[in-house]
Amino acid sequence: MQATLSKRINELLVLAVLEQGPAHGYQIALSVEERTGGAFSFQHGTLYPILHRLETNGHVRGTWGGEGRRRKTYELTDDGRAELAAGAAQLERQFRVLLELFGGTHAA
Amino acid sequence: MRPEHPLADVERSLAVPPRRRLDVLEEVDADAEALQAELERRGYGPAQARRAALRRVVPGTETLAQLEAQHAPPLGRWARGTGWIDRAERLGIFVATGLAGAVACITILGTGALGSAAVLAWPQVIVVALLAANWSRAAKRLWIDGDLRPELRRRLWERQIGLIVLAVALGALGAAREVWGAFGALEAEAFAPPAMWDAVGRIVSFAALGLSAAIFGLFGWLALTPRLIDDETMEHRISAFFASRLPTTPSRRR
Repeated sequence: MQATLSKRINELLVLAVLEQGPAHGYQIALSVEERTGGAFSFQHGTLYPILHRLETNGHVRGTWGGEGRRRKTYELTDDGRAELAAGAAQLERQFRVLLELFGGTHAA
Repeated sequence: MRPEHPLADVERSLAVPPRRRLDVLEEVDADAEALQAELERRGYGPAQARRAALRRVVPGTETLAQLEAQHAPPLGRWARGTGWIDRAERLGIFVATGLAGAVACITILGTGALGSAAVLAWPQVIVVALLAANWSRAAKRLWIDGDLRPELRRRLWERQIGLIVLAVALGALGAAREVWGAFGALEAEAFAPPAMWDAVGRIVSFAALGLSAAIFGLFGWLALTPRLIDDETMEHRISAFFASRLPTTPSRRR
């Protein structure tokens, strides 16, 4: 459960960053770290399986470019945009339930 | 001694087809370099920036396992998903044994291998089984694991060639032995026409068995060749990738 939730959050974080515009892998990693105030970060290349999975699922599009040296840029697809909206709404519901539960426990 | 590239270990450990391996290496390397430059712009020292960049982007053991699962060939992904990955080796052995069994039946019928010809006919059956097993091993590495490294590829190819030569030699030897036996019978004038046709049949069977085994071995390997050529091209590109990227040390950058 914890691994699944964490995987889901990581995917949504990547999609959220790419909503701002196309980016290279390292830019996505830095942006996630900055935008979450360091609460989430990708170490030891953990970003790549996430990006490749999103690419396989059609949520992001990876394009090789660069002169002389190949660099990969990722951009959000329409499917990815829909996935982000649906995922964010689902997470919001789940966290609201959890927060209410914790709030109830504290009150008791 | 020249220091090793930080991604050399990833290249050795990542068991995916070379094309995918090159993509991962190029992507990670470009990101590491750009991230290092970005961190330096933000005030990190070069060595500190390099370490921080590598820590973020170079895949660790767990990440490598995830990448392997993602980039395995379709057949390999299916085999992992259904649990057939553990049975693939056994399936290869089963196929090789089945093939050898079929060849054994043909051999018994064609050469009368239960009699005096057994000494040369049965080794041929074993050679066919070994050819099939060798081919199965290479095919499993290519289409299920996705990773057949040059060293193992060379060893399997040498074994295949050795077995093909052995199959032809055994076929020729068996045929020659039958010819020699037939001439002996002719000289002794104990050679009735039906016996002569029997001898011709055994000669042809021995030769055909050797030739069939050789053709099976060669054409089997030929079926792997397009993929092997593609892999080799990609491995050259991986070597070129490492050759063109001497490790960026702080002293060299300055």
